[in-house]
Amino acid sequence: MINRLATLFAWAMAIGAALFLLAPLIVIAAASFSPTPVFDLPVDGASLRWYTRIGQMDGFWPALSLSLQLAAFSTLLALVLGTLAAIAIAQGRLPGAEAIGTFLVSPLMMPGLVLGIALLQYFRMVGFNAAWSALLLAHLVVTLPYVARTMIAGLSRFDFTLVEAARTLGCTYPGAILKVMVPALAPSFLTAGLFSFLASFDNYPVSIFLTDVRTKTLPIKMLQYIEEAPDPTLAALSTCILAATVVLLIASDRLVGLHRMAGTGQ
Amino acid sequence: MSERDHLVVRQASKRYGATTVLDRVDLSIRRGELVTLLGPSGCGKTTLLRLIAGLALPDTGSVSIAGRDVTRVPPHKRNVGVVFQNYALFPHLSVAGNVAFGLNVRRRPKAEVRAAVEKALALVHLGHLAERPISALSGGQQQRVALARALAVEPDVLLFDEALSALDRKLREEMQGEMRRMLRDIDATAIFVTHDQDEALTMSDRVAVMNGGRIEQLAEPRLIYERPASLFTLNFVGLSTRIPGTVVSEDNGTVEVDTPVGRLVATGGFIPGSRVIVATRPEHLRPATGDEGNAVNGRVRSIVFQGSRSLVEVGAGGETLLAELPGQEAAHLAPDAEIRLGWPVRETFAFPAPELSTPELAA
Amino acid sequence: MTDAALPLAKAPARPSRERLVAVALAAPAVLILIFLFALPLAKLLAASLTGAEGLTFVEYGKLLGTSFYLGVIWNSVRLALYTTGIALLIGYPAAFALARARGPVRSFLLACLFLPLAASVIVKAFAWTILLRSDGLVNTLLMAVGITAEPIRMIFTETALIVGSVNIFLPFMILPVYTVVAQLDPRLSDAAATLGASPVEAFVRVVVPLTIPGVVAGVALVFSLAVSAYVVPTLLIGERYPTLSTTIAKAYLLARQPAFGAAAGVVLLVIAVATVAVSARLAKLGGAK
Repeated sequence: MINRLATLFAWAMAIGAALFLLAPLIVIAAASFSPTPVFDLPVDGASLRWYTRIGQMDGFWPALSLSLQLAAFSTLLALVLGTLAAIAIAQGRLPGAEAIGTFLVSPLMMPGLVLGIALLQYFRMVGFNAAWSALLLAHLVVTLPYVARTMIAGLSRFDFTLVEAARTLGCTYPGAILKVMVPALAPSFLTAGLFSFLASFDNYPVSIFLTDVRTKTLPIKMLQYIEEAPDPTLAALSTCILAATVVLLIASDRLVGLHRMAGTGQ
Repeated sequence: MSERDHLVVRQASKRYGATTVLDRVDLSIRRGELVTLLGPSGCGKTTLLRLIAGLALPDTGSVSIAGRDVTRVPPHKRNVGVVFQNYALFPHLSVAGNVAFGLNVRRRPKAEVRAAVEKALALVHLGHLAERPISALSGGQQQRVALARALAVEPDVLLFDEALSALDRKLREEMQGEMRRMLRDIDATAIFVTHDQDEALTMSDRVAVMNGGRIEQLAEPRLIYERPASLFTLNFVGLSTRIPGTVVSEDNGTVEVDTPVGRLVATGGFIPGSRVIVATRPEHLRPATGDEGNAVNGRVRSIVFQGSRSLVEVGAGGETLLAELPGQEAAHLAPDAEIRLGWPVRETFAFPAPELSTPELAA
Repeated sequence: MTDAALPLAKAPARPSRERLVAVALAAPAVLILIFLFALPLAKLLAASLTGAEGLTFVEYGKLLGTSFYLGVIWNSVRLALYTTGIALLIGYPAAFALARARGPVRSFLLACLFLPLAASVIVKAFAWTILLRSDGLVNTLLMAVGITAEPIRMIFTETALIVGSVNIFLPFMILPVYTVVAQLDPRLSDAAATLGASPVEAFVRVVVPLTIPGVVAGVALVFSLAVSAYVVPTLLIGERYPTLSTTIAKAYLLARQPAFGAAAGVVLLVIAVATVAVSARLAKLGGAK
């Protein structure tokens, strides 16, 4: 009896949580089809006109392009550097491996805003004022810990005798890494890449301190639009970003499986 | 080095930090020979195997395979085949993909690879599973794939690191026989590393008993069992009776020893006054008839029925004697019964008594 | 930073080749974080303590000595406390259901977890501004059901802030708890039952202690995220509820008071790091591995 009540309660909470979590996403998608400029739900007919206006928003294309560049480059760099470091840590030949692992992951618990002002101050001090490069470096600090965490976890489950086996079968050391370790770690790699890309693309609190008048990322632009003149065009843009996220997630699910990402994500 | 020595390890040492894992080990193996490195964990057997495979480098000494000095040659240029403890099969490749791996990295033509994979899989009776993923195989099947993968490259020497230890007992015994036949058929030179004495005795032409980074004895399985060269070998392989005593006289290869169970005669050469351990194997002990070289009176402590034979523990003078008796001889025995056991002098060995009894020797 | 740098310096005089390779592999990532993370943070700390005449605690005095800024700090902490508490109440049972779910139900629930997790924070916060407007969906529903005759003002209230904050950070509570629950051996409850424990006792004495590490991780994560949230309070409540984050942003972007902003940043950092450190300690005491 108590068991059944408890189970019922757990399921009620799970379904409640699911609906609660989905609610804003559904509302934003619905509002993007609003027939009027005040976020009416498309009950009496839908309109696609807001979608056609996305591209006309002031400064939209440069912001999108900048955010995509930053996310792509910082993720790529983080994947390479983070994976190499994780290999060194997981193999256990690195002196102080555990402390170094903790250090590499530590920016994750740093409030983004604090990292932002710290970098702002530091870049000013050393006289570094190229906005694009400053943003890229800052985003690397954001993405690197994601990659390090996921890859260290993935590598700790990797059986290094596989590399030895490949070497005895005729592979050089780099060859063995490429042929055996890379495929075995592909799921962790994908998870790390996906989440660090999203973390960079969505980052606001670090970027805000490092932009200049011409170099603004998409989240900064979006917050500006919302504060200045919210209209359903923003809902349309948000829906597009959501749709792209859904596509990415579905692709990752096909390749890796979400339940496995739940395990490697933390 | 004789013409027939196919694999030679000379004076190989390896230290990790302050621990000496291998201590100037010499080992020579002929072409087509099956040799087991047997010993407790930490004896250096796996390290020796890794030196031969090139997965670790010796601090001193040399390794040569098929007449070529490979001491500093990286593993991928040694042409060895290794079957790892947990098989180390590549999870992202199919059965055939695993077996083809070594040939593919050697850039052999496709047709040749396909033929070699088929041949290797047929040898381990897995031809029908070629396209399966590794995760769909049972433990025994994975073991066969690991073997096929190592065989496919036609290595100069095959190395097995505890390769059967993950299988259950019945399957392990089947695989032992099957593998021995197969390795004979293809005339393979192989080294097994194991801590399982049964595996060592059944699989190999010669057994190297290792302890503390050294090879204590390298000999045929029968000699290892019947003529152990050291107290360690005696203890590690098979059961035995061991009684401490003091030599009172020496005559032409035999010694008379005073022990708590009376005076015993053993083979060996010691000067009178030496502290020794007198030992024998349980199957030599029989209810005494009068004309054995050694005889002891005691009282039955326990009888363990083992099917065709029974293991009888007899207490005498504070020591324990272990006798393995055929069924009918043990049938009328009961705990606490008086018994007189006898055994021949030529099956009685004497070893120098260890100065400090190590835990293994006390056991 | 020194923690990480020391072992490198202490490497043995004649390191093996393998060790050199390992150091070379880790070096780029470590150096980047030393120069772009540890050093800037050290400089930030220095800036917060530097006045016109050198060392000063003036900025900290302003923060911790005036009731207005103590209220600001309390605003941040209160938001984090509410968010964490409510997320735990919803997330803990939900994680159990998720761990029990199989097949398409599990896929659906995981999608409900990952999609919001992957979705942009700005998009979600923006959605809540639409949902909670006086002519928004929530009010329409409430009036339709007859709970209220007049639309309730929700946006720009603390309730709106907490609802949005829970919504955005809830997945970070569910995931670590789910990971722990999914690894729980179901035979443990059975074993407790055979030893005479009622279902409630089995849950309290066996299941709850074993899930503590996940709960602690989730609490630490949600608290440290919520205490430093910037986008959520900015969009859902604005000026009337100043938090440490909005204060920091204002000090740098509008008021040009970097030393004061730095001090506020250090305070926020200390709160966030202390949360994580304390919970790691708790997890250890709680019998976790």
